[in-house]
Amino acid sequence: MLFGANLQRSYKYMNFASKMPSLRIDQNDLKCKNGCDYYGNPQWQGYCSKCHREQMLRQRRAEKASSNPSATLPRPEQKKPERGTKQASHSSFSKFEEKRLRQSETLAKKANLLKFSVFKKSSTDDHDHSERRAPEFKVPPMVNEGMKRDFRTRFPTLGAETDRDARVFVHSFIMDVMKCANVMSVDELSERVQRLYQRFMKHMDTSQHFAHVDSDTKELLMDFVEKHAMNYLHDLPSVVFSPSGTDDERLDRAMSERIQQLSWVGERHLECKLDRRHAACRQLLYKAISELLGMDSASSPGGKLTRVRRCCRHVLALCGAPASADDLLPALIFTVLKANPPRLVSNINFVTRFCNAQRLMTGEGGYYFTNLCCAVSFIENLTAESLNMDKKEFDCYMSMPASIGGSAWAAALSLCGASREAEEQREAAQRLLQDARNMSERAAALHADAVCFQEQIAKKVEDVLAKTPLEIKPRRELPRLCKSKTAIVTPLIDLELNPTPAEPQTAITEESRPLVGYTVPSEDNSQSSQPTIADPVPNVEKDSITDRINNTDTVQPASSIHELEHTNTAKQGTQETEPKLNILGFEVIEKPSPPKSPQNLDQTWQLKQTSSLELLTPSPLGFTPFDSRSIDELMTPDEFGSDSLAPGLSNINYDIDLSDFSGDNSVAEDPPKEAKDPFSPEGLKKAFDPFAPQPTASTFKEVLDKFDEFSLTDNKTNRTFDPFDVIHRNDPFSPERKEGSSILDDSDSPTTACLLPSPLQPQSSNKP
Amino acid sequence: MKVIEAKIVVLGSQGVGKTSLVVRYIGKMFSKHISPTIGASFFTCNISVGDTRVKLQVWDTAGQERFRSMAPMYYRNANAALLVFDITSVASFNAIKGWVKELQSNVPEEMVMSVVGNKCDLHECRAVPYSEATAYAASIGAAYCETSALHDQNIEQVFLNTATSLLTLSATNSTMKSYDSADDERNNGSPTEHSDVTAKVELPSYNTSDGVAYGELQRNMCC
Repeated sequence: MLFGANLQRSYKYMNFASKMPSLRIDQNDLKCKNGCDYYGNPQWQGYCSKCHREQMLRQRRAEKASSNPSATLPRPEQKKPERGTKQASHSSFSKFEEKRLRQSETLAKKANLLKFSVFKKSSTDDHDHSERRAPEFKVPPMVNEGMKRDFRTRFPTLGAETDRDARVFVHSFIMDVMKCANVMSVDELSERVQRLYQRFMKHMDTSQHFAHVDSDTKELLMDFVEKHAMNYLHDLPSVVFSPSGTDDERLDRAMSERIQQLSWVGERHLECKLDRRHAACRQLLYKAISELLGMDSASSPGGKLTRVRRCCRHVLALCGAPASADDLLPALIFTVLKANPPRLVSNINFVTRFCNAQRLMTGEGGYYFTNLCCAVSFIENLTAESLNMDKKEFDCYMSMPASIGGSAWAAALSLCGASREAEEQREAAQRLLQDARNMSERAAALHADAVCFQEQIAKKVEDVLAKTPLEIKPRRELPRLCKSKTAIVTPLIDLELNPTPAEPQTAITEESRPLVGYTVPSEDNSQSSQPTIADPVPNVEKDSITDRINNTDTVQPASSIHELEHTNTAKQGTQETEPKLNILGFEVIEKPSPPKSPQNLDQTWQLKQTSSLELLTPSPLGFTPFDSRSIDELMTPDEFGSDSLAPGLSNINYDIDLSDFSGDNSVAEDPPKEAKDPFSPEGLKKAFDPFAPQPTASTFKEVLDKFDEFSLTDNKTNRTFDPFDVIHRNDPFSPERKEGSSILDDSDSPTTACLLPSPLQPQSSNKP
Repeated sequence: MKVIEAKIVVLGSQGVGKTSLVVRYIGKMFSKHISPTIGASFFTCNISVGDTRVKLQVWDTAGQERFRSMAPMYYRNANAALLVFDITSVASFNAIKGWVKELQSNVPEEMVMSVVGNKCDLHECRAVPYSEATAYAASIGAAYCETSALHDQNIEQVFLNTATSLLTLSATNSTMKSYDSADDERNNGSPTEHSDVTAKVELPSYNTSDGVAYGELQRNMCC
């Protein structure tokens, strides 16, 4: 004996010793005993979590194999190598199992309800399962958060301690149940849960946290705690809801089959006063049935009880008032038979086991639940006697295929469902119709608005047009001016251009013709020889210089006379009476430009315009030409010869003058303006009408004085270059004109700003 | 104020007038507005006995013989039972005896039993002698009262007696739920929809003294 013991010990030791030396454990030793490539855990007898669970289930199944042969719980050794992680695989696996079980349990009729419940679960499943399978179980924080939120909404008056206590209780409750679920039988677990409830009740009674809470609120708190604890546990498969070790599932199926078989049982068998031809009756029954079906989707015992209560209320209403238990029970049995709720037995067992017993024993919910239990038990034990019918007949009915029986009520109920659906559809259709109507109304309103808007805009446009008639003609002068300048070289073109403008300009053309006529002689000069181009201007300048000299030397009157003489000399060329000096000067200015621009120049001008198109307004109207030209000159001085530049500049300045005066236009200032622009139609017209020049002759002297001064300065600076002199003369011209009216206006007018480009002249001057 | 919660189950054969009894009582309480959805099968009422409020949950049971087997579910955890029989039917009286036996064997807790002989307005065709009924009631330690649901006689008395007995029982019995309530308004959180009429339900409480006399008078008259 001693030897044996020794031997044993030595064996043990040897065994131990033989293992001791190798401190390194082979990796294979860590793996699951099943060889599924996952790592095992001594806690799970060397299996991985999955295999351990399967092992446990197999064991448990073996224990109850005799009583529950039809159970179809997990198939052993279901390997799915493609799974990524252990936990994920488990969650998905159990989910799959769960789903499969559910599907096997349910009838197609309730598929939607079930789907809903499955869906609801699946939302939390991943989290829960992974948490549950983890070695140390932890209540997911989600539960805690949900509780916190719910508590705040439900018990806003209660303090934070109660909230904390409740949550702590739920936490410990779940932990406890999870711990015991695998060890205890369902009845033990149920007792434990009840004890836990009682403990919490006691805690609420004794703890000072709940001192100020009245008993009703305590009950609500109890419900709250139960709800949250069970909500979580309910979703875990085989823990509290149809737990492993019970044959709830089998009973569910049996009950479902039984109810199907009893589908022939009608209201007369149960002696309840129902009339399927009555729409209200059908409706109530339908509602009761849907509530009963909803019981499965509720996840807490309290929620299930609520559904039952609602169902029974409908049934009571069905029976007529005041309904007694004598009426209620048969009607409820009938409802259950027609509803055939999924997992009925599991649900009832779940509620009886894990609902707070206090709640279940008392109260309306308890009463109705008791009635439901009675109904179920009645259906289970239904015999011919209980239906007060002949045994043979009963057997006959029972042997009949389930699909035949109860067609009338099934039809009535499906009719009810259909009518309900139709009603919903009708409502939806009406809503859509209404929407469409609204939409069309709005569309009509929009259309009306659009029309109104269009009209308004049209009116506005008309008003604006009426207020400001689009008189392009005066501005068209400008391009024509340039062209006329070019035309100066070739009068034929000028003549062509003139007719093109509208009729009102005929007068202008008349005016311009004389100019052309005037220009012709100058043209002759220009044509005579290139050098002579400069000559006319210098002549004039010389005259002006001489004038100046005269002015400086001689007395004012003399100078005036001199100037007059000068004007006379200037007028020599003009066949018609050109009263204004300006025109003369103008003409003089113009002369140089045309001579420089022979036929070729025309082309260059056109080129310029085309090039300016991109930068400036393409239309040859208005002020654009002057801008474009000025810029063109600045931008592309090299493109054109020094000869071509000069006319451009001169033209520009003319344009500026025109714009300036048009901008300053005021009736009062008209007389002086008349003088300034011979080419502007107004000016020309007015030049015709009065003999303005004669009264202004004295002022002309001054003008000329200043003009001379400028010219002098020009001469100094610019070394008497023709084009620039001309430009400068143009500049002074405008102010001079205005001097008669007002200098300030001139300074303010935009043309002064336009004049600023004059500093650029040096550049252009340098270029030539 | 002390509050006692108790569950009363109404037992009896079919046709003895259980429902009529209950409906009459409820009808009296809710005479102003009796909602069709309020079933007579289940209701709660508060009865004040002295300085104690007794909260009664009355569970009606289906009397049909075929539902006989389900009765245990109803009377489980009941604190009191109203055993109703028809004084014109000996069978119903015998059924009561069966119920009592069943209760005594199936319910371990002590419970208040009241034997109620209904339809005392039909005393011409009485089949169960008053003396026999009283003797039987005394033998099982129950109170006996004869009522008429038709003429609304003694019905309140029945419930009041039960409430009083429950009060005395609660002193010794710990299974009954009793607690102290600080406030009188107990409308919020009451588990049933009838809680809003508690004030009316308490009407019977103040005619405790003359109610008894009235009952006795009635008893004398009909017996």
